[in-house]
This record gives sequence, C-alpha cells and structure tokens, in this order.
Amino acid sequence: MIQQVTITTTPKYNFPLSTIDPSLPQRLTEQSIHSLKHTQNQPFQLNQQIFQYKNNLEEQIQTTQIELQPILLRPRLEETVVTAVDTSSIKIGETSKGMLIAVRGASVWKHKRNYKYSRIGPFIFNVTEENRKEVYNALQKEYFSSSHEDNHYGSPSLLQMPTRIANLLERWLQAAITKTINNGLILFDGSLTSGITGTSTWRTQKILNAARERENTILAFSKMTSLRFNGYLITDVLLKHRPPYLFEIAGLKPKPPVVLLGDVYVARLANRNYAFRLDIDKKLPIKRKIKAVEKLLGNDLCPQSYPETLRLAHILCTFTANEVIAMQHFITQKFNLRIINRPDMHRLLFGPFGKGEICS
Amino acid sequence: MKLYKKEGNIVQILSFPNETVEKGDYLSIETVDTRKKLIIQVIDVQFADIPGILEELLRSLPDGGESIQGEDFDPLEIAPHITFVQDARLLRCKIRATIENETLSPSNSWLPSRSQSTIKKLSIPTLLKFSKNDENLPIVLGGTKDSMLLTIAASSLDGRLNIITGKKETGKSHLSKLLMLNLVRYGATVVVFDLNGEYISLGRTSDGKRNADYDKIHVLTPSENFRVALKQLNLHVLLNILIHALHLPGTSAREFRRIWRSLRERGKLTLHELGEAIRNWSCNHHVRDALFSRYHALINSGFFTDEVNEGLLLEKNLFKASEEGGAIIINLRNTSRIDRQIVVEFLLGRLVELLTSWKLKAIFLFAEEAHLYLRETYWDDIVTRMRHFGIFTTFVTNQPDTIRGNIYRQADNIFLFNFTNEHDLETVSRASRVDAETIKSIARDLPPHYCLVLGKVVKDFPMVVKVKSLDIKTMGETRLFFKDIN
Repeated sequence: MIQQVTITTTPKYNFPLSTIDPSLPQRLTEQSIHSLKHTQNQPFQLNQQIFQYKNNLEEQIQTTQIELQPILLRPRLEETVVTAVDTSSIKIGETSKGMLIAVRGASVWKHKRNYKYSRIGPFIFNVTEENRKEVYNALQKEYFSSSHEDNHYGSPSLLQMPTRIANLLERWLQAAITKTINNGLILFDGSLTSGITGTSTWRTQKILNAARERENTILAFSKMTSLRFNGYLITDVLLKHRPPYLFEIAGLKPKPPVVLLGDVYVARLANRNYAFRLDIDKKLPIKRKIKAVEKLLGNDLCPQSYPETLRLAHILCTFTANEVIAMQHFITQKFNLRIINRPDMHRLLFGPFGKGEICS
Repeated sequence: MKLYKKEGNIVQILSFPNETVEKGDYLSIETVDTRKKLIIQVIDVQFADIPGILEELLRSLPDGGESIQGEDFDPLEIAPHITFVQDARLLRCKIRATIENETLSPSNSWLPSRSQSTIKKLSIPTLLKFSKNDENLPIVLGGTKDSMLLTIAASSLDGRLNIITGKKETGKSHLSKLLMLNLVRYGATVVVFDLNGEYISLGRTSDGKRNADYDKIHVLTPSENFRVALKQLNLHVLLNILIHALHLPGTSAREFRRIWRSLRERGKLTLHELGEAIRNWSCNHHVRDALFSRYHALINSGFFTDEVNEGLLLEKNLFKASEEGGAIIINLRNTSRIDRQIVVEFLLGRLVELLTSWKLKAIFLFAEEAHLYLRETYWDDIVTRMRHFGIFTTFVTNQPDTIRGNIYRQADNIFLFNFTNEHDLETVSRASRVDAETIKSIARDLPPHYCLVLGKVVKDFPMVVKVKSLDIKTMGETRLFFKDIN
C-alpha cells in the first residue's frame, strides 16, 4: 500500500502546523520587535567580520570500540517522505550595548521526487546584557514551559545568544515535524547527544518519543565530528567494502551530564570518500534503523554520502551576504538606527593581515 | 541614488528599484555647500554587484534547473528589503557638463562628494534651459521618456550638415519629413531627392485632403513635368553629366566641348542638331561612337527637351519657394540609375549656379540613400564647398557605411534611430560630436520611432526623443503580398 503523506496545507504557508502550538514563532516575532524597539534611534555599527554561527559543541565522549564489520545497505524504493530541519544564526551588527542577531529555520521535505521547503524567519533580535535573560527565558518559557531542566543551565551569555536562540527554533521545528508526518524519515543536522548547554536531554527525548509514536525515524547527520578511534577521526576509517554501508561505533562512554540518545554509526552512502557520523534513535530495533537508512537511500539523493534534503535545509536557512545587507537596511529603515563606522581594529593594526575576530 | 565610483569621465551610480532611471536620462549630482552640479547621462543600466547574489540564485535551483517550491513565513517582512537590495542597479553615466553659479561649462574636473551629494533626475527642458537653447523658430521633435517636449531651433539646422540614420522601419523618413515641413513653414527652401516617392503627398492629410502645406509642396518628376532644354544648360553642367554620370572619357569630352561651342555660336542648340553635329563631326571614329552612345543615353532619359518652356518649372518653383517657403520634391521613384545620376548632376549644378549668382539665398537639401545617385567626388564637395554656396544637406540612410567616415566626423547633427548591428554602430560612432560608447549603448536599445539626437541642435547633450506623429498621407510603404489575405 502506498503510504499517504499527512502534510496538509495551512492558510499561511504550506507547512503542517495545525497540530503544533504556533506560539513560538509568535513569541519570536514579539521578542524580536520588542528588542529592536529598544534600539530605536541608536547608532549601530556594521559587523566588520560577519560570520554565521553553527552549533559545534565539543563532545565529551570517549571512543573505545569500533565495529569493523560493516552493515551493507540496499536502497529500499518504497515511497517514504524524507524531511530535514536546520537553522542558522548570524550577527548582523553591534550596538553600543550589545549586538543585533538574526535567526532563521528551514524545513525541507521530499515527496514523489519533488522537494518543497518552508522557511521561518528571519527573526532579528537586539540582545544586550540587560535583556538577554528576558529574551531567552521568554522564548524558552513559551514552548518548553513544562521543562524545569532547562532552567538548570541558566540563560546563555551574550556571545552564545545567536546559537541558543537558533537551537530553540530548531528544536521547535523538529518537534513540529515529528508530530506531523507518519512513517517518515526525519533528518536532523548534528548528533543525538544531549545534556550539554542548549541541548536538554528531556527536550530531545520528547522529540524522539513523538517521532516513534508516529512510526517516524530520526536520522541525525553530523558534518563534523571529533570522535576518534586509535587517534583517527571515525569518519576517516575506511573499510574495504563497496558503499553504501554503515559501521557502528560501539562502547561510547559519555561523561555526565552528557547523554547519548542515539546509537552512533559512520555512514558511507556513496562511492566518494565522504563519510558522516550518523546517530539513530537508541530505542529503535537495529532492523528498523537499517531499514530507515535503506529507505533514505531509496528516496533521496546522497551523492556525497549526505542527504540532499538536509543539504537543502542547510542552504535555505543560511544567510547570504545580500540578506545581511537587506536586514541592515530593514533595521535602519524601520527602527531608524544610525549606522556608524567604527574603525576595524584588526584592519587598523594589522592591515591586510587583520582577518578579524574569527581568526584571531 | 548614491554616487559610487568615478573613473575618467564615467560615473557609476547606485540606484534602487523605487527609482526609475533609464538609458539616456540625465541626472544632476549636487553637493550643497559647493553650489556646483555635475550633469551626467545614463548610458547603461546594469545590476549592482551585490555580495552573495550568486548563492541566492543558486539555492533557488537545487535540482539541476527546476526551482524548488516553498513558502516563507516572514513575520518581520524582510523579503521586500531583500528584493530591494537584490534589484539594486548600477548606472553607468557619462559626465556631460558642470553647472556652476547657474552657468554651464563642459568641464568635468570637479568631483562631488560621495557621501554628501544628492542625485536627482534632470528633466530635458531644465537641461535645455541651462544650455541656453535658442527658443526662436522652434521645431517640436516629439516627447522625451518623461513626457516632456523636445524642441530644437530651426536655426540650429541652418548651415549644418545633418545625418538621419537607423535600420529599416524605425522612422527615419518620418523625422526627415517633420524637419522638412517645419523648415518650409519657417520660409526655407527645401529640395528633396525622393528615391521612393515617399514625399510626394506631403501636401495632403492622412485621409487625402489638402493640408496647409499643399501649396508649398512642388513635386517634380523627371521626364514628366521636369525636363530641361539644351539652351538652358551650361556647358560645364552638361559636361559633368557626361563625365560623371555617363563616364565619357576626357578626349571625347574635349570634342564634345568643341561641338557644343560650334552649335551655340550657330544658335542651333537642339537635340536634333546635336545628334547631327556628332554624326558629321570630323574626329576619330571611336570618339564619335563614344559621343553617340552618350547622346542616345541623354535622349532616352527623356529628361532633355528642345522646349524652353518645359524647362522653366524648376526655377519657377525654386523662386516661389524662396519667397514664401516651399519644398521641391524630385521624385526619382521610377527613374533608372543612370537617369537618376543625370537628374542629380543637373540639379546640383543648377542649384550651385543659382546660389552663386545669389538668385537663391540658401537651400536645405534632403538626400535619401544618396549613395545611389551621388557621385564620389560630391561627398567632399558637400561637406566643404557646397555649404559655402548655401546648400545644407541632410543625408537619410539605413546603410550608414555608405556615407563616408569624414562625413560623420564633420556632421553637425546626427539623428540616430535603432541599430543592432555592431558594424553599423561602429560606423556611426565615428561621429565626433559624441563618444562611441554613448552611441553604441543607447542606440542599440532604442525602440522604433525613438531617436537619439546628437550635435548642435541639442547643444551636444545627447537626447532620446519619441518622434511625434504627422497628419500626412504616408507613401513609400512596403507593398505586402499577404496584406489583404485573412
């Protein structure tokens, strides 16, 4: 039987949110406008070294054992919806008391050879030392009000704010997707490691439970990993087998409070020498895990071992330079901010060798 | 708009989608404290090189060409700002002049402030006011893109060499008629070499009724109502016809001169007597044959007659036109190439005679596709000698390479319609009144009936105008096979 997609069209945009509480986007919008109003008529300086923040948390996990017997995969062509979620944040300028940041999320789904997307944002925030707690707690409270665990971590520092707000949006999008589709594949960017700042175990577990209830499988792909075996990155370990295949990284011992909610694999899904860390829900039986990856191979393109749906989600949420200019234009026009050109100290001191704070 | 860059006499302006600026428009860059304005003209409109635009375009085409479908929930409404930035344009402009204390100067040594300058569109009438355009004897050419009238002074065509060029069906002849009729209304004498019979109905409205200019339009058709008697001809005019139109060799021309003088002394300058004289003239038989063949060419043209009265119409019309203004249309439609050359040689010779003897003050000559009837040596004559006699020529052509390069360089005014061919644009860009880049960039994108006006008529400020329509009976339309077939 051909499985039916449960995605429905909402009046606002073609993203199935009818079962989801839409209060987070509303709260994001409110907080965004509220924070920007407090910036009105102030001078702000364009960010001299614009860079995008991505969540790249250092994992505190020790690798002990690698399963060198690969799990060979055969693409399963049975029609399955593949969805992917990703978010991005960017600093777009500095104010006298803080910084202006923007976050945006994207979900992409593939069904019957067509890709469709839904983007949410950008949301622009003026975060300062004074309002960072207020902004973050208001957003967190709106969606994760029942979670006491999150308060345990406290509010993020000013520099962490872009990543943390993007994380909130990402979790909200992930939760929304898991409650919307049935028998689908849900691709996350990153790992299923939790317990570290900004990735609460309770929250991730809730998302995994919701996915399981609807027969969905979450596959989390990490573009970068710091896990090593015998000194080598696990993704650099090559087995003498023709892709596609997986091999399991067993015996991982995370240091508390870090918790692994997924089993960790290395996925080499195409002939090229690219491999990625792949986390699959621990509570799923091994057969279902393998079947999920085989369904992914049968339903999505993975030319570089990385699913196209997830690649698109990343591309669509990433801010381009002209969008940054447009957001700066928006802030100037709408909130009457004056742009000032403070000298770039890196450039001033080191001339062409001054590459900015990111490389300092 | 923001001043972005200046290199040589090129200024680059950053313009945003809510500012409507097109090629050919004039802008003024003003810096408040200096009381100076830089007058620039847009010669090209490009997309601004916005960082990240390639990524933006690429991500909308993820699957080898087809656009990815989706929707954006954009609560802060940033999307219009993104479009605003992405659609920003870069205007490439040429510096035309500087205005200092309300006085125009061609200097471009002043550089306005990049951050403090304000950039505004400059209307054509304002520009013409600054350039102190002569407002006497106005000729309304048509409307500019911003719906202003472009008016030139008839006096700016006086004593000038003009070229009207453009590809087929862009409106060259229409503009030529407009200029011609306006000159006639101001009392000028106009002579038109009408190759396709397009000008013969200028005296009638589109529905065939007589218009106000009817009595001033005199159509002369060679060998019908336009003939010339040998007695009216000067020997040097006839020799010009024989040598240049009929290619008579020099030795034969010398014999012809003797025959002519002999007949004139005897008072027997008739076609019959001329034929008899050639037959009986004591000379080399090759010379006689050469003279005979030219004699028969003259007879066969039907342009020559022994009736003096028939040959008076040209002068009568010219004198009438010189008193009250008028146009003498030489209808060359059904005239063979050789006969055309004979008629033109005669007419130009006659005009020079009349102008030299001050029987005529000056005439405006409109020559359509002149390469089809004008001999080589006349091109130089027209730009040098003829204007001293008072013949002010306007060439009309769709083949710009048929007009010599030196004509372009010395042309005072050029009315340029659309050209897409690089070679044609290259030829016209030899004109010294404006830079080649302006011509190539603007003329390539001109719609039909839009004309780029260059030269003294617009005080060397190139302007684009949509030539106004005329209520005249159109002639010279292309005959179509499928016109009446549904």
